[in-house]
Amino acid sequence: MRQRAMWSAVLVVGLALAGCGSASDSGKSTSSDGKLVVWDWKSGEPFAKSYLEKVKADFKKKHSDVEVEFVAQPFDQYYTLLGAAIQSGKGPDVMLFNGGGQIRDRVDALVPLDDYVAEDKQRLAGWEAFTKDSKIYASPVTLQGYPIYYNKAIYQKANLDPASPATTWDKFSADCAAIARAGAKCFALGNKEGVGIQFWLSSLGSTTLTAAEYDAWIAGKRDWQSPNVKRLFQLWKEAGDKKMNSDGANSTAMFNDSFALFQSGKAAHVMGLMSDVGHWQDFNEFLTPEKLGVMKAPIITAGTTPSLPYDGGIGYAVAKWTKDPKVAADLARSLSSADALKAFYADAGAIAADTTIDVSAAGPAAATLVSELKSGKPALHVALSSKTLDLMGRLSQQLLSGSITVDEVVKQLAASDQAG
Amino acid sequence: MPIGNTQPSVRSAQAGRAGGAAVTSSAHRKGARPRRAGGGLRAERYAPYILVAPAVLIIVVLRLYPLLLGVNFSFTGDGEQNGTAVGFGNYRELFADPLFQTALRNVGLLVLLLPVAVAIPGLLATFIYLRVPGHRFYRSVYFFPAVLSPVIVGAIFNMLLAFDGPLNAVLGSVGVGPVDWLGDPDLAMYMVVGVHIWATFGMALVVFLAGFATLDAALLDAARVDGATLRQVVWHVIIPALSRTIQFVFVTTMIGMLTSMFGLLYIMTSGGPEGSTYLPEFYIWKQQGQMNRPALASAASTILFMIMLVVGLLQIKLLERSGKED
Repeated sequence: MRQRAMWSAVLVVGLALAGCGSASDSGKSTSSDGKLVVWDWKSGEPFAKSYLEKVKADFKKKHSDVEVEFVAQPFDQYYTLLGAAIQSGKGPDVMLFNGGGQIRDRVDALVPLDDYVAEDKQRLAGWEAFTKDSKIYASPVTLQGYPIYYNKAIYQKANLDPASPATTWDKFSADCAAIARAGAKCFALGNKEGVGIQFWLSSLGSTTLTAAEYDAWIAGKRDWQSPNVKRLFQLWKEAGDKKMNSDGANSTAMFNDSFALFQSGKAAHVMGLMSDVGHWQDFNEFLTPEKLGVMKAPIITAGTTPSLPYDGGIGYAVAKWTKDPKVAADLARSLSSADALKAFYADAGAIAADTTIDVSAAGPAAATLVSELKSGKPALHVALSSKTLDLMGRLSQQLLSGSITVDEVVKQLAASDQAG
Repeated sequence: MPIGNTQPSVRSAQAGRAGGAAVTSSAHRKGARPRRAGGGLRAERYAPYILVAPAVLIIVVLRLYPLLLGVNFSFTGDGEQNGTAVGFGNYRELFADPLFQTALRNVGLLVLLLPVAVAIPGLLATFIYLRVPGHRFYRSVYFFPAVLSPVIVGAIFNMLLAFDGPLNAVLGSVGVGPVDWLGDPDLAMYMVVGVHIWATFGMALVVFLAGFATLDAALLDAARVDGATLRQVVWHVIIPALSRTIQFVFVTTMIGMLTSMFGLLYIMTSGGPEGSTYLPEFYIWKQQGQMNRPALASAASTILFMIMLVVGLLQIKLLERSGKED
């Protein structure tokens, strides 16, 4: 017994001595001279082949002596692995990020790129999602937006005009009633991961919040008690109560069960994406380009103008521990070079960050999206922290099941948003 | 000499842990005396330590040291406070987080459901032992799910339990309205635990069948001759005879539930709906990977470790006690 007590004492003392602040903050680079390591979750896919060739060719023109190694990580483990790399202060020189919370939470480990990417600022769109405290941390590759897609065949079946979808929420609700009579659901919704509410917030944000409220929201001054913000959550609840959504939304995965519901013609609308998955290219394949439409958000608050919510989708950032930030930043720029992005758009089915690319061959839906980029605004949910988004996901499930009120939801979200 | 040495060690293993330790220590004492008298070969005295050193080093360097680092890390901050000591800040935050409270409550729920998870394989093994018709078929079929990975099991049950899935279709055909099995916060956790039991009871069943193999058939015959009913046979003969097997299954099932439900949770519910199916493991993964809060995740890991430690110590107590009963 005495021995056991002694060992515990040794353990406690040892811990206390070591506990005076360990953790990590070393700034060493893993790369030897003349080699850059890139982490992403794309380069292993077949569609990335021609993109990578173009990137490497472009980079070779600037630094012919530097070798580039791409390491593809599995996406579902990506940020876990990256977190470990950041924690140890060793890892890739250049790395891929999702825009918004994912990169903003990790800017401590990144180099501001403002001085390096000045030339690209006009050609590329979507910088906002990679910016924190007015410093740019990544060079955008794709744009990610949250348009409302609709199925023209269901519109015809419900005796609605597929060429002119509803422009106000009242008309839209009436259309949904007609669609229900035709045997389809209004929205294909998957909210198992709590992502459905994010798309809802952003897709309908521009026609619910006033322009001033919208800009203030993006700038970080969010008034959660504003009637228009509450209205967004009320409509979410109403849509659930009125059975406008596909059944069992809280147990349906958005990726990709809810998109499958839309593709198979069981629901007339879906709030989808512009790039990667759940987007025009996927839907074209199943519904054919003629039947796929993109509509502007119906007006909910009088006096608002619909705009396409979009941000930088994915972009490459430079790690703080890289040996020569200039060389790494040049690689990040090559990853967003015009030729490379053209290959990415064509092979991966993404709206690339370079808005000068001609997309007319990709069908009317993609062309509409690109034409709306000019008047587009950053998406509302991308401005929120991952913690608030996680909470919002859970609260949105409670709203659908009726176990919470809208007032309580905005109260909790305001508290989480203020905490940072 | 080698033959003389191996025999006691085999016997000590059979005698159980407490007995084994006594046998080896006495053997050590006896062996040491003549050696010291014979001239004190120092190298030989250190030999045991050198021989166990690799194993000890591996445990210390790869297990204990990282464990201590993790505990130490849990007292530091995240993000801007990376590397600075924050005392018990992370722990305070954890216990104030309703999500972590749910995760701990769900651990409690698992403990409550443990008897069910043990009774199912126990009963089925009893039926197989008592040779119900088709027992050979069931013996192999029951083990099938145990070889499937949790991801596959989860995907299968996702489809079966989907709102528009076959289970609801069957219920609909007999006039029962559809149930959102994985979307109802009051149901989802039970569904996931149910699927976990379905997927893993094959292993416990095999352990039970092995236990039955050691059961003295004469006892059963005697009970039958005395006119005992099936219930009396199970209650008064089988359960007492299998008490050690049952304890073992209890402990392994508990550990299985606490540590290997992540795959199922990830696939079936992602912690939802409304955060109702969180377990500490899932919480740790979420904080570390998704929320970029590694220090907070370390604190949660430390708490999970403590829970496991208590379970482990209880296990040792139980096994020691049953060893003494023998």
